[in-house]
Amino acid sequence: MAPLLMWLIMVLCLVISLGKYLFGLILQLAHPSTKIRKDYTYEPTVSVLMPCYNEGKTVYETIESISKSNYPNGKFEIIAQDDCSADDSYQWMLKAQRDFANISIRVGRNEANCGKARTVCNALQHSNAEIIISIDSDCIFHPNAIRELTASFSEPRVGSVGGRVGVRNPNQSIITAIQTIVYYAAFELYKIPENWTRSVCCISGCLFAIRRELLLAIEPAIRARHWFGVPVNQGEDRFLTHQTLLHGYGTYINNDALCWTTVPTTLSVLFKQQLRWRRSIVRDFFFTLRSLPVHVFRLHPNTVLTLVLIPLGAIVALLVIVNSLVSDPLAWAGPMPLVTALAIAAVLSWWIKKHSVHETIAHPLAFGAYIAWAIASSLFLTPLALCTMDSADWGTRAKPLEEVPVGNSRA
Amino acid sequence: MATPALEPDVKPAKTKAAGRQALHYRFILATYRIFAIAALYAVLIGVIAYAFVMGFYAVNASWAAPVILTATDEKSLDFREKLITSQQSIEDLKVDAAKMDSGLKEMRSHRDSLLALEPEIASAITSERAHDRIDAPALSALDRQKLADDAQTKQVLAQLDAMQSDIQKDLASGLITRADAASQMAAINQTATSYTDSRIAEVLLTDTVLDKTTIGATTLEALERQAELRAEAAQLDVAIQVAEKELTEDNRQIARLHDAIVTARQSPYYLSATGQNLLNYAFVPYDNQASAATGSPIYDCYLNMILCRKVGVVVARFPGEEQILHPIFKTQIRGFLIQMDLQHEESAKSKTVFLGAKPLLF
Repeated sequence: MAPLLMWLIMVLCLVISLGKYLFGLILQLAHPSTKIRKDYTYEPTVSVLMPCYNEGKTVYETIESISKSNYPNGKFEIIAQDDCSADDSYQWMLKAQRDFANISIRVGRNEANCGKARTVCNALQHSNAEIIISIDSDCIFHPNAIRELTASFSEPRVGSVGGRVGVRNPNQSIITAIQTIVYYAAFELYKIPENWTRSVCCISGCLFAIRRELLLAIEPAIRARHWFGVPVNQGEDRFLTHQTLLHGYGTYINNDALCWTTVPTTLSVLFKQQLRWRRSIVRDFFFTLRSLPVHVFRLHPNTVLTLVLIPLGAIVALLVIVNSLVSDPLAWAGPMPLVTALAIAAVLSWWIKKHSVHETIAHPLAFGAYIAWAIASSLFLTPLALCTMDSADWGTRAKPLEEVPVGNSRA
Repeated sequence: MATPALEPDVKPAKTKAAGRQALHYRFILATYRIFAIAALYAVLIGVIAYAFVMGFYAVNASWAAPVILTATDEKSLDFREKLITSQQSIEDLKVDAAKMDSGLKEMRSHRDSLLALEPEIASAITSERAHDRIDAPALSALDRQKLADDAQTKQVLAQLDAMQSDIQKDLASGLITRADAASQMAAINQTATSYTDSRIAEVLLTDTVLDKTTIGATTLEALERQAELRAEAAQLDVAIQVAEKELTEDNRQIARLHDAIVTARQSPYYLSATGQNLLNYAFVPYDNQASAATGSPIYDCYLNMILCRKVGVVVARFPGEEQILHPIFKTQIRGFLIQMDLQHEESAKSKTVFLGAKPLLF
């Protein structure tokens, strides 16, 4: 009975996941209501909050890219808040403040290192704008990004809007090539059905816009987040999105609001990043289960299914893979997984080359390695996340990042 | 007045509650961390153990997989059915061979009797020819003598015709009586009859002479019989040769089937299908055949590889090829079966046993 139930859940999760990609493709191509009604004449005041920790010179480039935004200069400001970086990030922030005098840049520093979520809240104290945009300090933003985000707030029901995160370094290694395909598929296909019902479950913290009054309402909850007394500083983007939905607002990802991030180039950094994300998913899953009736009655069924079945799918996938490795250890080495992965890579890399030339992948066949990563991540991420829920370690900011140009310009 | 009085009571109560909650959290966290560390170590140990097991079975060349065969196994039943069919074929072939052998004996006897006749026929022909060579000249001379005698008799008969006229005349003239005339006429007829007999004898003699001087019908008949006899003998030779070949082939087929049955009776499937006692078998992949010598000790281990103990010995190696799924990797592998003499019957249910020596020396 138990194995049957496990397989049923697994199949359900797979059908929903794969169905979402397929449905996303259909909606993307054929359903106008998937796209939000944008009003470019709506120009609210905007504060771009940029928490920063050990980003080095990258933070200067980030501010530089925002300073080139085509949003009216008088209507937006940058509030850069350093979380006690161990490197020269704060100096780069001050330099940017001096160099980009065309826009208002405020630079602050926390009294003590307190994590990204609380740093955003600290930055929020200096803002009076109508729309708050939280960004990652290692991203480069398209000049239209702020305009695209604010235009999406013309629908009064929408509380939070995210942008599409592209990969700055798609061809730096096999790992970055894989992530490029995964990121693209997630934003351009997987999130589309959620966009359709304005119920995106996780807007990326790389580019996250939210109404001021909503963020103020959620802020106490952000500051109060803890795991049995241990403060939680990770996964604020997922938490904010989830809270937006619970406050009765819609969420949306505007794929025309672009930013590019530098994705991990080594397995260890990728693993730490994914582990942090998995912890957020697990935490979010527990929170959803704890208040499931509220979710069922208040949220769109699409949202509830995503919030429940996807994390459940990760747990079941772990059990299925363990079972497979014991009962048929070499099954994964057969041709079918490789052929499937390569077929997906071929189609998506062609699509990326056509629609996002910056992210063109030089060697799509590298995606074959995704099978090994999928098995390893399914096996270890969930148990590790479950066993390290009290960890406050960010994992990917131990030392300053190396400088990476946007897209394929390095080549 | 009441408000100031309340303050000292409320604050300690809140502090107390917060303290209790903090203590509660600390307890939960401590428990969680202990559980988490234990779980992570369990995962780590599991991963290392899994990798070790995979690596171990990739390089180990002494493992065998016990196989439990019963009379109701599909393969045993199929094997038994084929064996019965083979035995039936042998019986049919034996009956055919016996019939053929009997027929062969009959044909050989007939042929021998035919061949025994031939010298007698040849001897008879020779004897007759020798006799003819002796008799023919004499008969020929007699025939000539007879011809001469008949010629003289013919002349006498011509004279008798004249005498017959004279008798008629004498009778008519009354010179002689009627009785005399009849008597004389009878004598004349007697002579004529004798002549005729003599002619017949002469013709027969001539015929006999011809027989004696040329190859006669009798000889020809004898020769014909001789030729028929030889032809029949030749036909029998051919039939005997064919029958002998068929018989040889049948006997060879019987021998082959017999060998196959003898071999089959040593098969584990036959033994399991017909044996009264439960016998223990194990599959040995070809890569590990060096370890599967008869008499090699068998070890059974905990966790498939450690803390091993001797549980029996290899009794026999079966020649037929078998294919099974690798007990760990689940891939199709080729090998053969061995019979095990187990002192610990429960080892027959182990996933693997090891032949020759303990796999990890303990």
